[in-house]
Amino acid sequence: MFEARRPSTRLLLQLLVTLMIIPYLFPLVVMIQGSLAGKGLGNYEAVFAVGTVGTFFRNSVIVSVSTILIVYVLTMFAAFGFSKLHIRGKEVYFWMILAALTLPEVVLLTPLFATTLSIGVYDTYWAVVLPLAALQIPFAVLLARKFIDGVPDSLFDAARVDGASVFTAFRYIVVPMTRPIAAAIVVLTLIGSWNDYLLPLVLIQDPAKQTITLLPQFFVSQFSNDQTKVLASAVITAIPEIVAYLCLQRLFERGLAAGALK
Amino acid sequence: MTSITSQKTGARRPSHAPLPDGSRKRGGRPWGLPWIMPAFVFVVGLLYYCIIETGYLSTLDWDGTSPTPTSVGLGNYSEILQDPIFWKAIWHTVVFFVVTFTVQTAIGFVFAALLHSKVKLGAVYKVLVFTPVVLAPATMAPVFRQMFAADGQLNWALDHIGLGFLAQPWLAQSSTAMPVIMFITVWQFTGLTFVLYFAAMGQIDPETLEAARTDGASNLRVLVSIVWPGVRGTTVALAMLGVIGALKTFDVPYLVTIGGPNYSTEFLGTYIYRISIPSAHVGYGAALSILLLILALIGAIAVAARANRKDGESSV
Amino acid sequence: MLGSSRIWKRRLPGAAAVFTAAALALAGCAGGGTAETTDKGSADSGSITWWGWTPDSAPAEAYIKAFNQVYPNIKVTYKKLTIDGYDAAIRPALASSVGPDVFDVAPGAANGSVDIYGVNAVDLTPAVEKALGADWKSKLAPIGVSSLTADGKLAGLSIGSNYAGSVWVNQDLFDKYSLKPPTNYDEWKQVCAAFKSHGVKCFVQGAAQTAFNEDTLQAISNNIKPGVWAQALDKKVPWTDPTIVQALTIWKKLFDDGIMQEGALGVQQYPDANNDFMSGKAAMVMMGTWYMQYSTVDGSTAAISGAGVGDPKPFTQLPIAFPDVAGTGNVGSLYGDADFGLAVNKKSKSIAAATTFATWLTTSQAGQQAVADILNDIPALMSVQPNWSSIKLVNAEKQQPALEKLITDAGKSPEPRLATVSADLQTAIGVASTTVAAGQATPEQAAATLQSSAEKIK
Repeated sequence: MFEARRPSTRLLLQLLVTLMIIPYLFPLVVMIQGSLAGKGLGNYEAVFAVGTVGTFFRNSVIVSVSTILIVYVLTMFAAFGFSKLHIRGKEVYFWMILAALTLPEVVLLTPLFATTLSIGVYDTYWAVVLPLAALQIPFAVLLARKFIDGVPDSLFDAARVDGASVFTAFRYIVVPMTRPIAAAIVVLTLIGSWNDYLLPLVLIQDPAKQTITLLPQFFVSQFSNDQTKVLASAVITAIPEIVAYLCLQRLFERGLAAGALK
Repeated sequence: MTSITSQKTGARRPSHAPLPDGSRKRGGRPWGLPWIMPAFVFVVGLLYYCIIETGYLSTLDWDGTSPTPTSVGLGNYSEILQDPIFWKAIWHTVVFFVVTFTVQTAIGFVFAALLHSKVKLGAVYKVLVFTPVVLAPATMAPVFRQMFAADGQLNWALDHIGLGFLAQPWLAQSSTAMPVIMFITVWQFTGLTFVLYFAAMGQIDPETLEAARTDGASNLRVLVSIVWPGVRGTTVALAMLGVIGALKTFDVPYLVTIGGPNYSTEFLGTYIYRISIPSAHVGYGAALSILLLILALIGAIAVAARANRKDGESSV
Repeated sequence: MLGSSRIWKRRLPGAAAVFTAAALALAGCAGGGTAETTDKGSADSGSITWWGWTPDSAPAEAYIKAFNQVYPNIKVTYKKLTIDGYDAAIRPALASSVGPDVFDVAPGAANGSVDIYGVNAVDLTPAVEKALGADWKSKLAPIGVSSLTADGKLAGLSIGSNYAGSVWVNQDLFDKYSLKPPTNYDEWKQVCAAFKSHGVKCFVQGAAQTAFNEDTLQAISNNIKPGVWAQALDKKVPWTDPTIVQALTIWKKLFDDGIMQEGALGVQQYPDANNDFMSGKAAMVMMGTWYMQYSTVDGSTAAISGAGVGDPKPFTQLPIAFPDVAGTGNVGSLYGDADFGLAVNKKSKSIAAATTFATWLTTSQAGQQAVADILNDIPALMSVQPNWSSIKLVNAEKQQPALEKLITDAGKSPEPRLATVSADLQTAIGVASTTVAAGQATPEQAAATLQSSAEKIK
């Protein structure tokens, strides 16, 4: 976005971004320091020594991937519909979806417990996946709708002139052109599902299905709190998300530049 | 519900049919209902039971387990309107939203623009600004309490750069606890703002940018008159999320300051938690939640309406 | 929850009712009524689950292992929840048919409040009678029985008790600077000034976590005039009583005279204040009998390492009486509650096996010895004493007599700590303690506010 032809300007930009990052870096340094305090890397060994890291990790992957798939498919359909298609009373549907975003999780727990029991998914991965997806969809739809609004109508008009069906238009215009926002939605959903703590805690009973957010609790108890290992667990939990983000990073940069109708 | 759905879907046009001709103003666009229905049914089906249940609970005086809840009608609501902590929480929310949203948007936007430019080590910066988003507040809370403690790293750093006179027990004072909560929130969510702006900037036509540059527009000028309007959709979405998020604010103040000292960092989210879980006033908590839902919708609709009005003005 | 849903079902209008009523009917089938299960299952075989926020997984496994030596055919699965997550998780679980068979309860407003979850529990009186005989009451610590009795039924069996009122000191730090643990206000002030001059924090209190402020205020109040605090909790005297006002005044002085660490109002007792003490940054902390576990080599090494010290070296931790801050000579008061108890879910499908487990851990010699030796709780079965010969203390010569005295003194105390404090009252006391400390209210104003809040609590 910025163009820096002169080296001095380039240096200035570099300096600016470095200064801006310092407040963000500082707590991270304190955190890493904390995770290495005491026994140093021994803290990390202790976390792995709990022995369930692998199981927790696998479960979190299952939960996150399923949630992401549901959210992506439903969101893209809905966002396209809201943005480019004719729906009577469109805004009413839209705001009804968005309203679901406003309840605090604590309030949702008890009714969700009853719901998951009644549809027979309690103590399965679905008990966590379905509510997580339902909670992620509203904001994802909002984002994707705004993004698709930015795709020029002329593209769809052209497709229409060519006799393309709505689904063809979706497949060949919307899907490729929304890659940046899709990547963002995948990342957000991953964070939401990977980091969620209360839902797996309450809706899954079987220890073999618990997720990775329950890792730190091995080091926190009524009268003790081993902060060093809690922080080490947090680092271990965060790394997969950061790797996923880096992998998706390239997609964020494509958009119109990538060209949809070539 | 089923009957409504079938009525509407019965009237739809087949989605796979070619796009019909005709003027868009007369509703010539293809019917979109089948496209939104899966998401709609999924979200509404799973979560509206929660809203209805909460609405019902809000009319009770109940501890959550007793077999005999008392119905109090709208009593909880009238009590809330006279509850000074409720109003305090609302006021905190307003201040909190204005400050965190402004700061987060400004920093996230500038970061995204800078990292779309040719900056060296871009990946490192991206990871640093993104990482806070993935760290659970529960694990970070003690880190922040330590950092902002009277003998914490922040005061230590201030001492060493000659600003020792600014050192103070940040979290122990009503006056500084709220700014600290805001700082932590901005720290945590700038990554989100950044990621979304970064994605949105990918949508801006490079040819437009090129043309502006050829006309001799400066970096700042390009940023203000092309990039910023170009990502307006994202800004609006973030503002709506910001309103809802501010009203729901829970993790950071609850874990870092427990809403204190003396309610100086109490929010609706922390208040609902305290009331419904440890104090077990389930009915009162449900009424607060319903008010939260209404306020969040009003706030988000206000943001959307304002954005639409602006759209109308600018698209002359 | 299900009870309410049934009332609600009748009122629902229109189409939405079809969907939700169907959901509820299903939930209703699964959930069953509030009535106790009639088929109690086998008493010495089966598979049961136990939910709790305490103990840790390791001691829980140890308890279960010891239990299985006696009852090899009962499989116990322990699920440890966090303190913050427990109430949120247990409430819906107990309302359903798939909740735990055994669950933790605690007196008062803490998590797992017996007043709230007692309705979901089986009355354990017959089971205890069977285990200990008709005179069972004389064999168990009275505080555990009374504080876990709700609505006339023994809803939980106490594992053991915790008492507060003591201050723990880092004796090695005192020795290093040739200081003596303070016994009165002036000594305390001098000791703190001396520690400060060496760059050591004196007394740490996590004043942001207000439940622990109650411990300190109760200690000060008992020092001024024993028993007034408990009477105020019992609504026998108002919170505006001169003793309480004076206690708040002294509390404020602790902040003004540099006895409390700087910034105490932004600090939590756990993990912040605890870590300061364990890492040797602070010399004194207000903690109770649960701190005994850190007198052992293992316990203290783990705690010090957990506080972020690279090369943990256990130090001599000693309990002392709260200093005579009012100059009355009334020192050494302790007040306590049952730490936590085991309750049996009345919707459990294996009530008998669950009862066997709960009774064994809380009333059998072997179960209680396991509890005693961890030094976390003072055992509920009064005949059990920690087996000192098998416990490795850091500095047995100094610590063993101090711990023995603490245990004996605690056993004598009938004064409740948090058991009778409702969550709302706890909040009100928290407000009083922090507004006074921050100088936003005078002790008189804070006491008046506290009294008016207390009157509003039903």
